Amino acid sequence: MTPATLLVTVFFFVPALILFILSLTDLASSNFSEPWHFIGLLNYQRMFSDRFFPKILGNTIRYVTLTLIFFNVGLALLLALLTSYINRRAGFFFRMLWLLPRITPSVVYIVMWRRMVQQAPFGIINQFLGWFGLSQQPHLLNEHPWLFVILANGFVGASFGMLIFSSAIESIPKDLFTAAKVDGASTLQIIRDITLPMLRWPLLFVTSYQTLSLLVSFEYILLLTNGGPGLFTTEVWALTSYKRALSTYFGTNQWGYGAAWGLVLVVIAITASVIYLRVFRFDDLVQEPKIDVL
Amino acid sequence: MKVELTNLTKRWGDVVGAEGIDLSTKDGEFVAFLGPSGCGKTTTLLMIAGIYKPTVGEILFDDRVVNTVPPKDRNIGMVFQSYALYPHMTVFQNIGYPLKLQKVPKDELQKHVQRVADMMGIGHLMDRKPAQLSGGQQQRVALGRALIKEPQLLLFDEPLSNLDARLRLSMRSEIKRLQMDLGITSIYVTHDQIEAMTMADRVAVMKDGHLQAFAPPDELYDHPKTLFIAGFVGNPPMNFIEVEVKQENGSYQVLGPGIHLDLPADRGEKVARSSKVIMGIRPEDISLADTGVKGEVYLIEPLGRDDLLDVRIGETAVRVLADPALGVRMRDTVTLHFNTDTAQLFDPDTEQSLLW
Amino acid sequence: MTTRFETEQKSGLLQRILTALPYVVLTISIVPIIIGFVWIIVATFSYRTQGILPINAQGKIGGLTLQNWTFLLDAKIWRVTFNSAMIALGMVVGVGFLSSLTGYALSRMNFRGRKTFLGMTLVLHAFRPELLLIAIFQVLLFIAGIPIAGKAFGFNTVGGVAIVMVSLELPLGIWLMKGFFDNISWDMERAALIDGASRFRVWWEIILPQIKPGIAALAIFNFISGWNAYLIPYTFTIGTKVSNLSVFLNQFSSDTSPMGWNQVAAVGLFQLIPILIFFIFTQEALLNIYGGGTKGGA
Ligand SMILES: Nc1ncnc2c1ncn2[C@@H]1O[C@H](COP(=O)(O)OP(=O)(O)O)[C@@H](O)[C@H]1O
Ligand SMILES: [Mg+2]
Repeated sequence: MTPATLLVTVFFFVPALILFILSLTDLASSNFSEPWHFIGLLNYQRMFSDRFFPKILGNTIRYVTLTLIFFNVGLALLLALLTSYINRRAGFFFRMLWLLPRITPSVVYIVMWRRMVQQAPFGIINQFLGWFGLSQQPHLLNEHPWLFVILANGFVGASFGMLIFSSAIESIPKDLFTAAKVDGASTLQIIRDITLPMLRWPLLFVTSYQTLSLLVSFEYILLLTNGGPGLFTTEVWALTSYKRALSTYFGTNQWGYGAAWGLVLVVIAITASVIYLRVFRFDDLVQEPKIDVL
Repeated sequence: MKVELTNLTKRWGDVVGAEGIDLSTKDGEFVAFLGPSGCGKTTTLLMIAGIYKPTVGEILFDDRVVNTVPPKDRNIGMVFQSYALYPHMTVFQNIGYPLKLQKVPKDELQKHVQRVADMMGIGHLMDRKPAQLSGGQQQRVALGRALIKEPQLLLFDEPLSNLDARLRLSMRSEIKRLQMDLGITSIYVTHDQIEAMTMADRVAVMKDGHLQAFAPPDELYDHPKTLFIAGFVGNPPMNFIEVEVKQENGSYQVLGPGIHLDLPADRGEKVARSSKVIMGIRPEDISLADTGVKGEVYLIEPLGRDDLLDVRIGETAVRVLADPALGVRMRDTVTLHFNTDTAQLFDPDTEQSLLW
Repeated sequence: MTTRFETEQKSGLLQRILTALPYVVLTISIVPIIIGFVWIIVATFSYRTQGILPINAQGKIGGLTLQNWTFLLDAKIWRVTFNSAMIALGMVVGVGFLSSLTGYALSRMNFRGRKTFLGMTLVLHAFRPELLLIAIFQVLLFIAGIPIAGKAFGFNTVGGVAIVMVSLELPLGIWLMKGFFDNISWDMERAALIDGASRFRVWWEIILPQIKPGIAALAIFNFISGWNAYLIPYTFTIGTKVSNLSVFLNQFSSDTSPMGWNQVAAVGLFQLIPILIFFIFTQEALLNIYGGGTKGGA
């Protein structure tokens, strides 16, 4: 209990506070040895007036919405419906396969994707295109960076929703399906009229939870494109914050400036988590102890 | 050991578990807590066990306040409705666990466990896990575990309600027998009035967290203090009829729609002032006769030895026990004799008995 | 599943297509993942690859070899493997121990501040910690300055990486464990208290054995996250002495590195092997924890 409190304090609360303070300073590796200064909201001013600010904001929105719609919710729902529809063991098998990307080390996983998209004759996709008699493409990642950023993230992200939705589908009383079948409903009608309405809450839950996850995640983008190719093509908000502060990409670690970018997301993330915990009534899961003695 | 509860109360915010329980047992007594589910029996028992801290009030063991004594130092044994056996331990380990915690040497523990298990008739099941036992056998393991440390107080929380009817009957007498042999003060919680009435020396009837009565079974049966007790104790349950009591030149009469009965003077006297009353009369105190109150048989439930008739007297329904040999059929018109010598009378507003 | 319905009117052929369709769609959808794995296995054992085909020096199909595995003779790889293992084990033991104790207290004990702590756990388990790396960097720099602890847990130490990862995983671990404890019968715990056990003893002897599957699932989950970790080791360490497999691999997979794709694949497969072994033997547990993990295991 106490050690847990200590660790959570040292690595959550203190950092959150530090992040806030940092964002008000000009602390950077270039002037680390010199005294640093409080510079008020200058970092924030600089952030909003950054030439690439609109680009990065747009990228973030694009990344989150497209991955969410097509994969983390869309494909997830499709997979859940399909794997519940078929034979139980087969469904289980496909779900297991879909878990693979999630448990594969991110570096290994991205190495696979990088090999996929290389130019002929090395790239796997180009090889398949050749086999099917289609014209081979130059370096695909440079041509369609967004496509592959979203694919790589989406193949990992889909399994979460898939698992949540499948267990929700399995918990729908079987009588409902039997009754609908007796009433002469077709499979599609059953999905539309029974399954989907029953999935309303899981859908909302997965959507909000994954929005938050995508908003702050950047590991796969960092590994796959590092925000490129070129200037800020696939750079998202969280990645900017990280690179400004912690990578030598811009020649210097601008901790203060990076913290300002990060803090905006932290505020959004905390607000969002508090709201969704309210909406999903997580506090209902909290029961009172039924033993008084210690 | 004697147990005494004074003003014992447990609340969780607005929720009342038990309220102002006053009660004291004799040494070696078998006390039953009887009441419908949710009335606070378990709450009270768990306070006695030391699992719940009372909000108000005191618990005394042999005149010593034990409110702050932790459960392990109260020297009690408890049997739960769910048995609460440890599923990862064998029967031997389950029964021996209290001794293991007391650091009893291995060979002595072995002997003890074997003796208790033999006493419970499960000596041959020592290496089984609880999941491999029948309900009755699990119950015996739970009993063995409660008994092994030779506690001064035994607590039972509806121990038989998960067993089938036959087993319940035999376990009932076995527990009673065991308690008498060992002479350990016991508190037995149940919602089954037959269990309470047949096993206990005294029965504490509870309702909505309050203690309604604390008396020997026959007293509860013959002299119920409240409408609730009268209705809860006895099977089939007592009939209640709204009537008026009138006094005419020294004799008392009970009047209701279609009903006109004589009431013994010793009972009548006590209701002189309140004319509207609820009369309670047990099904076995109503019989088929040649003269009396007329009614129509609405339903017949054969109980084996007797038939239970549901008879309608106008709007009023009464249950009557009748000899099947009489051959009563549905819709027959019958004449009923009410034995008012044992009739109970209650104030309709306070629901308290007017007699006791 | 029972969501399958046969409708009488449909012709046999259409019926068969409809039955097969989900399998076809599912199989096609999973192809990219399978191909990725096929490539890594083929590449590991071949001289070169074009697409997923092994190619020999003459440019023909063939050229299978074990030479890509010579990296195993390099001491560096064992150093980073050891570090990866330490981080993973640190996660398993640290998160397992701390969250099973804290989760028990939160689920089953009455103490002051319980509500606050629960609320905190609740918010933090939903919160993604990547954002705090900038500030944690400063914390680690600070710890590095402390005499003895700095050597073990400061910036640029394996201990530092492990302790950061443990801390960031704790809220989820505590929340999950609390969910497991919530499902245990109260009567059993009461019985043990009456039998004479202390709360600690109840936790250790009576309750923990009941949730072994849950603890195992959490351990697997933590092992995998520790073993796979990239971002935190990458950010908080410099040089092979303290870095781990992921960081090592990424360094050599960058386009400028002298290491060929096939050697990269071999290192990648080497890192994947323990994960795949877990995957094969603990599928059910994995499905549960990755699926139920966020809705409180309840
Ligand atoms: N731990 C608790 N927290 C809140 N309310 C409780 C708790 N235990 C019991 N209650 C409430 O107290 C009342 C009495 O419960 P209980 O003693 O279990 O009844 P019984 O055992 O007679 O069926 C019920 O209304 C129940 O909901
Ligand atoms: Mg109860």
